[in-house]
Amino acid sequence: MTKNIKALLLQAELFRKQGLLGDARKKYKLVEEILLKSDKLPNKQKLLEGLAKKVAALDEDVKAVERAPSTPEMSSHVNELIKKLFSFAEKDKDENDAALEGAIALAKFGQFDGALEEFHKLLQVMSVRVSAAKNILRCHLEMGNPDGAHTQLAQWQGSDLFSPEQFEKVTAFFDEILEKKGLKKEIAQAPGATAEVSVMEEDEEEEFLDISAVAITFDSGPHKGEQVELDVSFQSGNVISLIISSRDEHLIESLKVGVRLDDVHFYSPVAIFRGSGIVSAKTQIKSGPKKGDFSIDIKIESL
Amino acid sequence: MAVFNIKKREIECKIVYYGPGRCGKTSNLEYVFKSYKKQVGGEMVSINTEGDRTLFFDFLPMDLGKIKGCDVRVQLFTVPGQVQYASTRKLVLRGVDGIVFVADSLDVRREKNMLSLKDLQQNLKDYGLNIFKVPLVMQYNKRDLADEGIPIMPIEKMEKDLNRQLKVPSFPASAVKGEGVGKTLQECLKLTLHSLQKQFSWAQ
Repeated sequence: MTKNIKALLLQAELFRKQGLLGDARKKYKLVEEILLKSDKLPNKQKLLEGLAKKVAALDEDVKAVERAPSTPEMSSHVNELIKKLFSFAEKDKDENDAALEGAIALAKFGQFDGALEEFHKLLQVMSVRVSAAKNILRCHLEMGNPDGAHTQLAQWQGSDLFSPEQFEKVTAFFDEILEKKGLKKEIAQAPGATAEVSVMEEDEEEEFLDISAVAITFDSGPHKGEQVELDVSFQSGNVISLIISSRDEHLIESLKVGVRLDDVHFYSPVAIFRGSGIVSAKTQIKSGPKKGDFSIDIKIESL
Repeated sequence: MAVFNIKKREIECKIVYYGPGRCGKTSNLEYVFKSYKKQVGGEMVSINTEGDRTLFFDFLPMDLGKIKGCDVRVQLFTVPGQVQYASTRKLVLRGVDGIVFVADSLDVRREKNMLSLKDLQQNLKDYGLNIFKVPLVMQYNKRDLADEGIPIMPIEKMEKDLNRQLKVPSFPASAVKGEGVGKTLQECLKLTLHSLQKQFSWAQ
C-alpha cells in the first residue's frame, strides 16, 4: 500500500509540475481515499494533514490560472507582430486590405483598443470604409459597450462620411449582430436610438454533441463481448460516419445496415457518454486513398 | 498559405505545432530556438498566461537558406492547447502549410490527445483543408517520463489511437531533453516543402 501511495504522489507531483492541475488533483484525491480507508498506517493523520496542504496549494494554482485575464493588453511590439503575421492579403498588391486584416486579427486576439485605433484610420479609405465601420461596432460590442457602438453609429449618421447605401449596410450589419447577441431590444430602447429595428426570424437548429470517437461493445457476431474503438470521420447531426479498413472483414460483417448497437461509448469534447445507435448505411469507398475501405453511418438513438 | 515570390525566388511557409494543453508544443519550439541558432531567423515570441500556458501563440522564424535555387523561410507557430482558446487556435491555424501534432504520452492524457486531433480535423475542414492531405507529422512526446516511473502509453497504443487512419510519419520524443525534436521538424519540413514544390513547381 505504501508503495502505491508513493507512486500516486509521485504522479501527482509531476502532473502539478507539468501544469496538469486537474490530473494532479485526481491523484491526490486517490491517495486521500486510500489513507481514509486504511486503519494500519500509524501516521495516517499526519499524512492526511500533509495531503490537505498539498491539495490547498494546488487549488491556489488553479485559482491563479482561472483569475488570469484571457485577453491581457499586449505591448505595441506584440500588436505589430499580430498585425503582420495574421494579415493574409498580399501587402504589395493591396495595402489597405492587409491593414484591415491586421486590425481584424488584433480584435480577434482581444486587443480592442489597438484594433479600434486601426479601424478608425481605415475609415478614411474608401475601399475598406464599410468593413472598418462594421468592425468598430463589433469591437464596442465585444468590449461590453453597446452604448458606445450606438453613439458611434449616431455620430456617423450625422456626418457625411458614408453614402446612404453604405450607411444602410452598416446599420443592417449592426442590427444583425445585435440580434445574434440578444441585445436588440436593449439597444432599440436606448435613449437616442435611431436604427430601424427589423424583425428577423431566428434559425432554430437542434444541436448535437460533437462525437470524436466511439467504442462499440458487440453482443453478437464474431466480435461478441469485445469493445472496438473507432474514430469518427464525419458527423452530420445525429449521424456519425466511421471508416473501416477493408482488412477488418469481421467488423464490416458485424456492422450490417439495421443492426442495433446497444452499448456504445460516444467520446465527445464534454465527456464520454454511453448510449445506443443503429447502423443506417454502409458503403464501400470507390476512389481516393481509402479506396476499398467501408464508410459506416451510425444513427445515434440515445446519448 | 505559403507566399511564393517568383521574382526574388523566395518562399515563406507556415508550420503549426498542434496538440492538447501542456503536451509540450512550446518546449519543442524552445529547443529548436536553442539548438538551431544558424537557421533561426529572429527572436522567439511567446505570449503566455499564468503558469506558462500559451495564451495566443508562440512564434519562431527560421531561415533555411537556398533549397533548389529558392530562399526558404519558415514560420513556426504553436497554438494554445487549452480547450477554452478554440477561436485563437483556429486563427493561428489559418494559412498553415504543415503541421506537427504533438501528443502527450501520459496515460491520463489519452482522451485529450484524441479530442485535440479531432479539433484539428474540424478546424482544417473549416478552412477547406483535408487532414489526410495536409503535410502532417505526429510526435509522441514525454517518452522520458517512463524513466521516472510515470505511466505512459506504449507507442503502439498511441499509433492505434491517433494514427490508425492517418498513417503519417510519427516520432517518439522528449521535447525538454531535445530528443526527437529535430527529427520531427525535419520530417515535417520535408513533407511541407515537397507539397509546396508540387504546388508551385518552384524547383523547376
